[in-house]
Amino acid sequence: MIRTESIHIPFTYAAGGTSSIFLAALRDEARILATPCPACDTVICPARSSCPACGGPTATPVDVGPAGTLVSWTELADGTTLALVRLDGADTSLVHRLAGGDGTWVAGQRLRARFGESRTGAITDIVGFESENGAGR
Amino acid sequence: MRSVAVVGTGQTKHARRRDDVSQAELVREAADAALADADMCAEDIEAVLIGNMELFEGRGLPELWVGGGAYGTGKPVMKVATGGTSGTSTAIAAFHQVGSGLFDRVLAVGFEKHSEGHTQTGMALTDPFWDRAVASGALGNFALSVSQYVAAGHATEDQAALVAVKARRNAARNPHAHLQMPDLTVDEVLASKMLAHPLRMLDMCPQSDGAAAIIVASDAVAREHNPRPAWVKATATRHDQCYIGDLDRRLLSMRTLRDASAHAYTQAGITDPVRDLDVAEIYEPCTYAELAWYEALGFCEAGEAGRLVEKGVTSMTGALPVNPSGGVLSTNPVGASGVIRVAEAACQIHGRAGQRQVERADLALATGYGVYAWADVVVLGSEP
Repeated sequence: MIRTESIHIPFTYAAGGTSSIFLAALRDEARILATPCPACDTVICPARSSCPACGGPTATPVDVGPAGTLVSWTELADGTTLALVRLDGADTSLVHRLAGGDGTWVAGQRLRARFGESRTGAITDIVGFESENGAGR
Repeated sequence: MRSVAVVGTGQTKHARRRDDVSQAELVREAADAALADADMCAEDIEAVLIGNMELFEGRGLPELWVGGGAYGTGKPVMKVATGGTSGTSTAIAAFHQVGSGLFDRVLAVGFEKHSEGHTQTGMALTDPFWDRAVASGALGNFALSVSQYVAAGHATEDQAALVAVKARRNAARNPHAHLQMPDLTVDEVLASKMLAHPLRMLDMCPQSDGAAAIIVASDAVAREHNPRPAWVKATATRHDQCYIGDLDRRLLSMRTLRDASAHAYTQAGITDPVRDLDVAEIYEPCTYAELAWYEALGFCEAGEAGRLVEKGVTSMTGALPVNPSGGVLSTNPVGASGVIRVAEAACQIHGRAGQRQVERADLALATGYGVYAWADVVVLGSEP
């Protein structure tokens, strides 16, 4: 005998202090914030309260991007293109999507964040990254 | 810690669906096989460890639901869940329980029934702020790192395809293996569907239903249960950061596996792994990962892994056969996959690996890979 059904799982998560500042700046001012780690001398994006590498407390957030460099990308079967993007001023990459273009992307090429018109305080307030010289390449 | 050994192993038949058994019955099938292999009865087992990623079945507390299937009723039962490393972590936990002197005989069993849940949903339960909305799921996330590995010139698609062919041909000699593709060719791998550039269907592991168990015994009783116990020479575990944007050279460095294996080699007195090891069972979620792991495990210099496969160094007749079982590329019930690596390595030491037995297996490596870059390393040997 086989039983089939599904479960809906609602959730309500807190982003925490520093990441809430990141998400509010993204929503209200279309700015991308990162946090410097004084111990590692690295700038970590998205902004977080402690350094993911050494665990130490981070300093006051600073602006990075909105332009950056494509580190790596992959195209999924549904046409979605995922990317690691190193924003100018940051030492770590953002995981996001590439937008527009003809699907030809090259690691090292320059990109710029495209922000959504109505933003809600989510990483998807950045719609995606497009070539710095216009959509795609 | 006192010496401990794997004295019995057992596996189910792994398949896309095992509708013929419940989760508890699947676990029982592996437990019974391991007990028989160790010439033990259920009453001999003092404690039980369960490895499982319950999100994949959508059923909480697997240690409750399948504990009885693993003969855990009335005994200490504990679940271990660390992503893909769950199985190797479960085995290592059993080594610690016996090595510490708590118990003389412990059963560790890993299982997964991917057919009963929705694996992609389980994979999507990642960080809700940074990952879930843009890049959830193992495939695309991993492909980002593979793409970088290939762009850096560390492997070609032809070399990756050779790994796929080696795994599936080895699996044809393993009666437990899920995928049976003895005649697979490089051309067929390259013609398979592109899932996430550069990963094709046949570059990837399957989703399997299956369970695997090992019996871990102390030095006081090991030889009563196996004339040739597989002694634990070394274990090492390394976890890493949780956001891949912070790990954007993941496959190129794979520092967790690099550090863990270096630590384990020192413990086990290994200086040249290809020369010193007789067999390796490594946890390779895709073909390119096997090549990257060769570099991290010190089997070759950076960028040389593809040539290792081309020269057949890691084939059944090479200097260091890697994954005689067919590996994760042929069988992947996630919670069991790490236990399978340890069980296969132990089975080689025991001399009970049947048609997939390598010659003179005195030192064997097993590894686990989990979540974004977690690594477990186990070295087993024929002497304590």
